[in-house]
Amino acid sequence: MAHREVLAEPGSRVVMLGNVAFARGALEYGVSFASAYPGTPSTEITEALSYASRILGGPYVEWSANEKVALEAAIGAALTGIPALASMKHVGVNVAADPLFSSAYMGVEGALVIVSADDPGMWSSQNEQDNRWYGIHAYIPVVEPAGAQEAKTAIIEAFKLSEKWKHPVILRTTTRVSHTRVIVEAGEIDIAKIKRKGTFVKNPEKYTLVPVHARRLREELVEKWEKISNDLSQNQVLNHAEGNPDSETLVVAIGLGYRYAKEILAAHGLLDNVRLLKLSAPVPLPKSLLLNEAEGREKIIFVEEGDPVIETLSKALFYDYNVRAEIYGKGTGHLKKTGELELHHVEKLLAKALELEKTYFSHAMIKPDIKLPPRPPVLCPGCPYRAVFYALRRAVGKARIRPIYNGDIGCYSLGVNPPFQMQDTIVEMGGSIGLANGMAHAQDDKVPIAIIGDSTFFHAGLPGLANAVYNRSPMLVVVLDNRTTAMTGHQPHPGIGVTARGVEGTELSIVDAAKGLGVEYVKVIDAFNIAEGEKEFYEALEYVKKERKPALIVAKGACILLALAAGRRIGVYPIVYRVDDDKCTACGLCYKAFNCPAIYSKDDGKAYINELLCTGCGECAQICPFDAFEPVDEVPPEWLRLMREAKPT
Amino acid sequence: MKSLNIVLSGVGGQGIISLANVIANAVLESGGKVIVAETHGLSQRGGSVIVHVRIGDVEAPLIPPGNGDLMLSLDPIEAARYSVYLKKGSMIFVDNNITPPPLPGIKIPSLDEIVESLEKEGFDIIVVPAVDEAKKAGNPLGANIFLLGASYQTGILKEYINEEAIIDAIRKNLKKPEKNIEVFKRGKKWAEERLTR
Ligand SMILES: Cc1ncc(C[n+]2csc(CCOP(=O)(O)OP(=O)(O)O)c2C)c(N)n1
Ligand code: SF4
Ligand code: SF4
Repeated sequence: MAHREVLAEPGSRVVMLGNVAFARGALEYGVSFASAYPGTPSTEITEALSYASRILGGPYVEWSANEKVALEAAIGAALTGIPALASMKHVGVNVAADPLFSSAYMGVEGALVIVSADDPGMWSSQNEQDNRWYGIHAYIPVVEPAGAQEAKTAIIEAFKLSEKWKHPVILRTTTRVSHTRVIVEAGEIDIAKIKRKGTFVKNPEKYTLVPVHARRLREELVEKWEKISNDLSQNQVLNHAEGNPDSETLVVAIGLGYRYAKEILAAHGLLDNVRLLKLSAPVPLPKSLLLNEAEGREKIIFVEEGDPVIETLSKALFYDYNVRAEIYGKGTGHLKKTGELELHHVEKLLAKALELEKTYFSHAMIKPDIKLPPRPPVLCPGCPYRAVFYALRRAVGKARIRPIYNGDIGCYSLGVNPPFQMQDTIVEMGGSIGLANGMAHAQDDKVPIAIIGDSTFFHAGLPGLANAVYNRSPMLVVVLDNRTTAMTGHQPHPGIGVTARGVEGTELSIVDAAKGLGVEYVKVIDAFNIAEGEKEFYEALEYVKKERKPALIVAKGACILLALAAGRRIGVYPIVYRVDDDKCTACGLCYKAFNCPAIYSKDDGKAYINELLCTGCGECAQICPFDAFEPVDEVPPEWLRLMREAKPT
Repeated sequence: MKSLNIVLSGVGGQGIISLANVIANAVLESGGKVIVAETHGLSQRGGSVIVHVRIGDVEAPLIPPGNGDLMLSLDPIEAARYSVYLKKGSMIFVDNNITPPPLPGIKIPSLDEIVESLEKEGFDIIVVPAVDEAKKAGNPLGANIFLLGASYQTGILKEYINEEAIIDAIRKNLKKPEKNIEVFKRGKKWAEERLTR
């Protein structure tokens, strides 16, 4: 998506997503280099910068192969003296952790901001992870905006902080900051600034972390950390106290926690009664500010999203300085530790600590007395993966093997649900091939089948595949080449050859990569052709059984949403399918075992197709034993081509 | 502190997020404050979607359960699912078409059963033929805007959003703006004829 509002006229007020406000803030500061790997809830930052770059001719923006490379590239850029931004979701920081720790030792020349988009509540993630710990662990300051309202200011402040201390800074956002739309006032963008290039001045004592240099840098780092803490105590933009200075109660509200605390205190008419300390730059702990504000209070309440990070650090500080107060927070069990905050949770905490009787946000929930079916996300109608899962399952049956489906992270994770249930493990990106490697040698009764997407293959699949060849792991690797990173909103990747700036890049071949790594059995199949898939999967499984080596099949077929979008651009549309009532025997195979969401059963058990949902992929026509499905018109060859070749723009 | 909390719900792909964007821009045009919390990512693949729209003097992004003042929903199942976010007696504008979740062998409640269960809890539920009417107006994807029109007619939004601002927001933020403006007006008219308030 373009997010055009990122280039709103200076001085205008516009509705913007928090992530777009981050992009705008970065542009206003003068960011000249931005790298990222997509991941919810971080993706729109780079999408918006990519749009800006296409229009303004800068900054340099790239989708990197993975987060480690994205961060390394940004560190490299920052060492040439320009401001750089690396954006990723929280788990992406795990992938990038190695360069992250080193970056604190080296520092930067220009500025370096690393966006970590955390996902409390796991709206679209495999874990809940509070990356402020990374800041503490790696000695990197953390800026945490007080809601989308502060997104633009916070990223500008993060860059300034980085520039001032020549040190990387983590900007920690969360789903409810990144994916919340608010009114933002646009400032000036200096185009010359965002287009500028840096120059690298050699300084091996700083930039080569051999032990002799690193030992010195470590001393400096620890010293710098204390100075930054003092600086954050003075930073009135990000950290400040408001309300009654003499109150017996201090509410420490970190990041988005400030919005919750403030709304509740306002509703209860307490804004002028208690002391409210807003911390939007909580790491390193701004010790002097905190001690100043904490001294003499009877009660101290912590409101933060994620783990009780600041509460824990503060309690240690209070111990050292003999501050004794009643503490209320997640660590003391007064606020729930999992999921995301909501007003009623925070109100409960404040009500307990302040002995409030009335509540404004904690109404009884009214639940209608009716059983509702769940509505989990599903593979789209016409998704190539449905055909692949179907063909693979049949091949496995025919080969008479017992499979282990080592799944991975992408739309195909949805194969975990009925009717397929063909994801036995899902760990992290690249984990499919990695786990299959172990299972291939640790047991003999089942055959590991790693199922990995094209974007994930380039992100973290290559080392695992090298390992499988090297250690002769008998396993089948299925690479789902749907021409995009679909789950996160259809970004390109190295296998596509389109870059974030819209200029042409080089399209890498998965087949060549696999062969280059030494896989001897490599084949490409048409993902939409079920008979071909079944045959090729069967033969590949036979090879694995016999040769005890890895085999790899690339199932190529575009994400149907990409094909539809590409078709709309050139005026090519799919032909929907219909069910011939005379041929349909009500066997139910199509809506029970294949389960395209466009196919429903009528009261008599016969199938019918919702033409608004059908994308004309033709998969149902291949699985129906009675030939009951047919297109309502002749299918244009152009559409069949797009189904195989469409790519993101 | 004056505020209006609107819950938008439906199924991924039905236009809930663009509806929220139109409302937010209309509030901006009307000179107000607004916060919209969206569901992205996984829930878009045909999953259930809720968007929180908070207008007025508010700080936090999410409507706590039992605090919503109004719901616009493009699916009756989702209306029932997210009714926990509403205050007792709130109005629920819901389209009359149920999109059955594509899961093998599940039982789907009927529209009547859903409406009855919501009425029992004291909600003021208004079933709107939004999709059908939008189709008639030549804009099958305009059901979201039809619902907005119908709810606007009841006056609940007037204090925060003026009508010209909605028209303007549609014009600036939606594809086929003229058709959507037509749908908005039809939604209002539908409510004017059906509802006496
Ligand atoms: C380390 C890490 N980075 C990013 C993500 C976010 N993410 C989830 S699914 C996905 C897409 C993977 O793309 P692909 O393998 O091509 O599968 P598709 O969604 O196209 O089916 C990404 C990037 C993640 N979960 N973990
Ligand atoms: S977005 Fe594309 S890859 Fe993902 S489920 Fe839909 S069709 Fe399949
Ligand atoms: S109904 Fe058939 S042609 Fe239409 S999307 Fe589903 S499988 Fe494809």
